[in-house]
Amino acid sequence: MIDLKVLTQAVGDLDEQVILSLINEFVASNPSGEDAQMVVQACQQGMAIVGDLFEKNVYYVGDLIFAGDLLTQAINAIKPVLGGVGSQKVGSIVIGTVQGDLHDIGKNIFSSMAEAAGFEVYDLGIDVSPSAFVEKVKEVKPQIIGMSGVLTLAIDSMKKTVNALNEAGLRDSVKVIIGGNPVNEDACKQIGADSFTTNAAEGLKTCQGWVS
Amino acid sequence: MTDAVAMTNERNQMFSDLFSGKTPKRVPVSNPATQDFAIQYAGLDLAECQWDLTKLEPVYDKFCQDFFTDTYPGGSIRLPSHYQILGSTPIVMSSSGFMQHPDVVGMLAEEYDEFIASPYDCIVETILPRLFTELNGAPGKVAMALAKAMRAQSDDLAYLGTIRAKMNAKYGFATMSAALTEAPFDFMADFLRSFKGISGDVRRHPDKIAAACEAVLPLMIKKGTLPNPSMLGYTFIPLHMAPYLRDKDFLTLYWPTFKKMVETLAGMGQTVQLFVEQDWMRYIDYLYELPENTIMRFEYGDAKVVKEKLGKKHIISGFYPVTLLQTGTKQQCVDKAKELLDILAPGGRYWWQADKSIINLEANGPVVENLRAVLEYVHENGAY
Repeated sequence: MIDLKVLTQAVGDLDEQVILSLINEFVASNPSGEDAQMVVQACQQGMAIVGDLFEKNVYYVGDLIFAGDLLTQAINAIKPVLGGVGSQKVGSIVIGTVQGDLHDIGKNIFSSMAEAAGFEVYDLGIDVSPSAFVEKVKEVKPQIIGMSGVLTLAIDSMKKTVNALNEAGLRDSVKVIIGGNPVNEDACKQIGADSFTTNAAEGLKTCQGWVS
Repeated sequence: MTDAVAMTNERNQMFSDLFSGKTPKRVPVSNPATQDFAIQYAGLDLAECQWDLTKLEPVYDKFCQDFFTDTYPGGSIRLPSHYQILGSTPIVMSSSGFMQHPDVVGMLAEEYDEFIASPYDCIVETILPRLFTELNGAPGKVAMALAKAMRAQSDDLAYLGTIRAKMNAKYGFATMSAALTEAPFDFMADFLRSFKGISGDVRRHPDKIAAACEAVLPLMIKKGTLPNPSMLGYTFIPLHMAPYLRDKDFLTLYWPTFKKMVETLAGMGQTVQLFVEQDWMRYIDYLYELPENTIMRFEYGDAKVVKEKLGKKHIISGFYPVTLLQTGTKQQCVDKAKELLDILAPGGRYWWQADKSIINLEANGPVVENLRAVLEYVHENGAY
């Protein structure tokens, strides 16, 4: 049987070879769906270590991107043995890079960390119009909306998106978090968001606080 | 007209003094707003004007007249015509009309050895056809696409150059030239391996990144060389990836070839301007090692610490937060300008620029008034 603690630590260490050899060995042993679910959870716990090390400035953004890549590889390898066993989602987030902005690296980092933490993430992609956010919120009724952007024009688009949520009568049904290079406390207030972050791990903690 | 010529001479003298480490007459000022902003300020459509440059002369005239600046506020501009003709994927226009750079892969991880053996051949034969769809096909078609694109670009640049010359003649801006290049590691990340790709490479094959940076260094130096190194101007190097790396990866993969590049350019007698993007405070002692009078425009960080550590050797710029212009009152914006002036101006070696470019103008927002007030404030209070 796979040693889940070793796996968790290997994910925390971003040790690709150890992670993949442990998981390949596990998958080859023809495990049950329940066991596979425990392996997924062990990987998720490893991602929490990665998040902590990022907050302590041991890891940086490049390491988070690599971690997201490793996690995707690991989950894809486990999928065939997961069977129908689904995990309980802790909450749902609609996320996108706002209108006029094509930058998606920060959004993707946050997305993979939120998924690893058990959120259902609906990623609308880049250059997302206020109406596209509104439509998705109507459709999936998430608890949280995450808006991302790198350019200063993103601030204006974020504001327009919050206005559109207000006009659709949806603003009070969701928490709004904004993230990316140009956001700060003043921008957050002006946009009418509930929270802001320039740090994916910190943003995830905010979201976890909202759904706990 | 003579007044404008005199102003140009005076401003050229200010920048000559600044770049050679002498205290200029006053703190030089550059408007951080760009052509994109200017088009919106004139009430015109951003996408349309970038396709039809004939609309731009009155746009620039109003822009230059209404906002104080010592340098022509053209900024670095990505023109859509030649990118479109080439089928560009690394530089594209968004729905807002702003040209930008998505995360693309121009080179696969397994192509490092080919690249290291001959970067130029690999770029021409393998990477360009992947990044630009019209450069991937029969040689005749590729030749036609390339010829059309280069003609379109040269026509566009000539047209913008004419506008620039007219504005310089009318408003007496400093006449500086600029070349653009990237640190080898940033070039590998931004156009060849992508942010995601290089982040994996740092873990999986760091030796190959180091060798690739060494291999591409001569091309990056060539790209950053001015036609005449002694002319008034600078090589602009926007720095990208260092804040996203661990210190040890920065030290072994990013820093060696970047440092060599800046030293080589400075050794040729040119000034180098770094856009120190994101937060470089943990690398400040490395920055100190760069040649005297290297210009460093900072985005984030502690202005006091930077002035103290680098301010006697290098030329400091940036730090002014343009988002404040969007969210603050006029008084708050001016107070911030004063605060930075008080920290950075004493002893010279300070060029007023903002932390980022202003590319967007929200109708009815406070940016126009705030920006104008800040530029005037620094102009009027920056005398030595």
